[in-house]
Amino acid sequence: MLRRTALATSALVLGALVLTSCTGTSDAPTATGTPDPDATLTVRLTLEPTNLDIRRTNGAALEQALIDNVYQGLVTREGAEDGTVSIAPALATEWTVSDDGLTYTFSLREGVTFHDGSELTVDDVVDSLQSTKDDATLQGSADLAGVSSITAPDASTVVVTLAQPNIDFLFTLTGRAGLIFNAGDTTDLATAANGTGPFRLQSWNTGDSLVLERNDDYWGDPAGVAEVVLDYIPDQSAAVNAAVSGDVDVALEIDPELQSQLEGGDFDLRTGLTTDKGTLAFNNQRAPLNDERVREALRLSIDHDALVEALGTGETLYGPIPPLDPGYEDLSDTLSYDPDRARELLAEAGVSDLDLTLTIPSVYDTTLPTFLVSSFADIGVTLEVDSVEFPAWLQDVFQNKDYDLSFVRHVEARDFGNWANPDYYFGYDNAEVQDLYARALATTDEDESSALLSEAARIVADEDAADWLFLSTPIAAVGTHVANFPQNSLNVRMPLAETTVSAE
Amino acid sequence: MIRYALTRLGLLVLGLAVASVLIFVSLRVLPGDVAQLIAGTESTPAQVEALRESLGLNTPLPVQYLDWVGGLLRGDLGTSLLTGAPVAAELGDKAQVTVPLGIMSLLVALVIGVPFGVLSAIRRGRADGTAVGVGAQALAAVPVVWAGMMLVVVFAVWLGWLPPQGFPRSGWADPAAALRALVLPALTIGVVEGAMLLRFVRSATLQAIGQDYVRTAAAKGLTRTRALLTHGLPNVGLSVITVLGLQIAGIVVGAVVIEQLFTLPGVGRMLVTDVATRDLPKVQGELLALTGFVLVVGFLVDLVHRLIDPRQREAS
Repeated sequence: MLRRTALATSALVLGALVLTSCTGTSDAPTATGTPDPDATLTVRLTLEPTNLDIRRTNGAALEQALIDNVYQGLVTREGAEDGTVSIAPALATEWTVSDDGLTYTFSLREGVTFHDGSELTVDDVVDSLQSTKDDATLQGSADLAGVSSITAPDASTVVVTLAQPNIDFLFTLTGRAGLIFNAGDTTDLATAANGTGPFRLQSWNTGDSLVLERNDDYWGDPAGVAEVVLDYIPDQSAAVNAAVSGDVDVALEIDPELQSQLEGGDFDLRTGLTTDKGTLAFNNQRAPLNDERVREALRLSIDHDALVEALGTGETLYGPIPPLDPGYEDLSDTLSYDPDRARELLAEAGVSDLDLTLTIPSVYDTTLPTFLVSSFADIGVTLEVDSVEFPAWLQDVFQNKDYDLSFVRHVEARDFGNWANPDYYFGYDNAEVQDLYARALATTDEDESSALLSEAARIVADEDAADWLFLSTPIAAVGTHVANFPQNSLNVRMPLAETTVSAE
Repeated sequence: MIRYALTRLGLLVLGLAVASVLIFVSLRVLPGDVAQLIAGTESTPAQVEALRESLGLNTPLPVQYLDWVGGLLRGDLGTSLLTGAPVAAELGDKAQVTVPLGIMSLLVALVIGVPFGVLSAIRRGRADGTAVGVGAQALAAVPVVWAGMMLVVVFAVWLGWLPPQGFPRSGWADPAAALRALVLPALTIGVVEGAMLLRFVRSATLQAIGQDYVRTAAAKGLTRTRALLTHGLPNVGLSVITVLGLQIAGIVVGAVVIEQLFTLPGVGRMLVTDVATRDLPKVQGELLALTGFVLVVGFLVDLVHRLIDPRQREAS
């Protein structure tokens, strides 16, 4: 059973992305002054949610804003400074896993109330998980497909049993599949919210901002600020100007070309780690890209170091698994920059005068397609760039698989399963990879799982199933008066409960 | 006059009917749909299909169109597929930013276009007149986006007088802050539109200077400038009203661009977002409202023109 994962493009009006890795907390010692409990924290973000219904609507923007802040699951992700993620308690105080990896027993936290005042009970947990599993139109439903039963033997215990072991199951519960809602709630989740988190939703000003306020009845330590304003500013220069003029305390996804405007000021510029993989997909089902020599030739024509330099941010990445995910291994030895060899390979494959089309959502900068056009031209391949709106990409590439080359950023963590799913838009079908991935999920030994994933990832990279052009390391500008702002994978998780703002 | 007004009104209604068909059809041609976007990339085709069904996207297009028009006739602009919010309410909300922005832009355009246009015509051939003329040519050629960025750099970033972007969350509860937020966007649209208006006023004024009645008035003892101001300018004013009708459409388009640049929660930004999310019932409601607005302005301009121009009045 393959776990379905979502794919994502970020920084767009309707990103898709789902699961991702780590969130971390920075303890950068830059904060000055005493934290002001009455402060408002204003954070510039790029991607506004289309509605607030986190149960039904896909998109990273919702996870970034609401998970851990407004909604919670039994467990959550806790990121270390180096980006590694562990599973931490949230609405469950503790849990045990049976030796066969099939039975998960959670102890429910006591004294938790929803924002509407009603008390959290085991029935809410069972109802939330069961309805997500049963209703295929709910986000995360497929993640719970391997669950065989969800029961509450007593008022403080929830038992979940799986049909077969799944080493990613707890991680899955940190995502949408595991969020706990109030059973029988009549709140209109599209425009309002009712969670258990440290913040409650105050207002959503469409086209502008989402405002959260401290939940004074929170079960844990109260949030460090009284109010959080998530200020959606898509334009890059407007965002930098907003920071310079003090309209925002923190600005995420700073354009590297503009970062110099913030240097030496009241902002600390940081790069965060992500699992955001800039993926150049080859249609593995379509000639001549079904010929590995052609795919390898295209990859050999790209100077990845020069590309990362041209983009101004990011790191090279030569395989499908990013450093923050289990199974990562440095695969730079599988590829070098060698246009001569690329031309030879094309000749061997009997391909000449190759014309290819790159389908790319229009939200992405033109630097990347321009770079690829000139790289491919160098080996005699003509690349036509078809810049389309994201909905058109979803229809043509993702759904109909009608493309030669495609570029999107796959943001979510632990999404290797896409390479083991021949129906995914990559069209990559390798029985050995599929078997390795299935075994990696089914084992209960984490080291063994990682080793199996590494082996599978190496095969995918060796066969040039795609090119992983870069790993995103977005720049965040954090005001020097802000402390404990999270550091990593902010595009999908931004827990703000511990963040404080000093009186200026 | 009444017959004229009724004919114009008939054309207005016909225009709206045609626009509703064009809007409806052109949006249906866009690739991708809202169901796919809501479901995202974790969904199977069957789930997307179920969502399409529940959102009513599978209803035959003629039926969808008639449903929409039926709603319009009852005064219902439709509801958003994503939030369930009525389009009319959201439009009313966003108009609180866009309408004042449009009015302020228009004022800026008038303040720049009319006096400087007349001045550059009267002072033609002299240094100041030429300078204004050349300046207007240059400004009219400036892309709105670039003009906006320059204004932001100078007045918001360097001088810090005005906010570089955004609109107060409390809206018009704090009128001073709301006005300040709109100054730079309105200047941006207004300067570019004003430069175009200036060139028009200039040529209309130059034309008036050459008219017999101005020469006659001057021959009767008025100074050339006085003759122009009292006898020529009313005629210039008539043509300016016509051009203003067109410029209002230009301001609406400018607002769509400028609201992105300045992150203003107005109609333009909402429209761009809704197209990107394929919330078609919402987009078609918004587009029809905008089209209706522009058509109504045109209708009013025609009427006003008729009312104040004695020649046209007598002709009818």
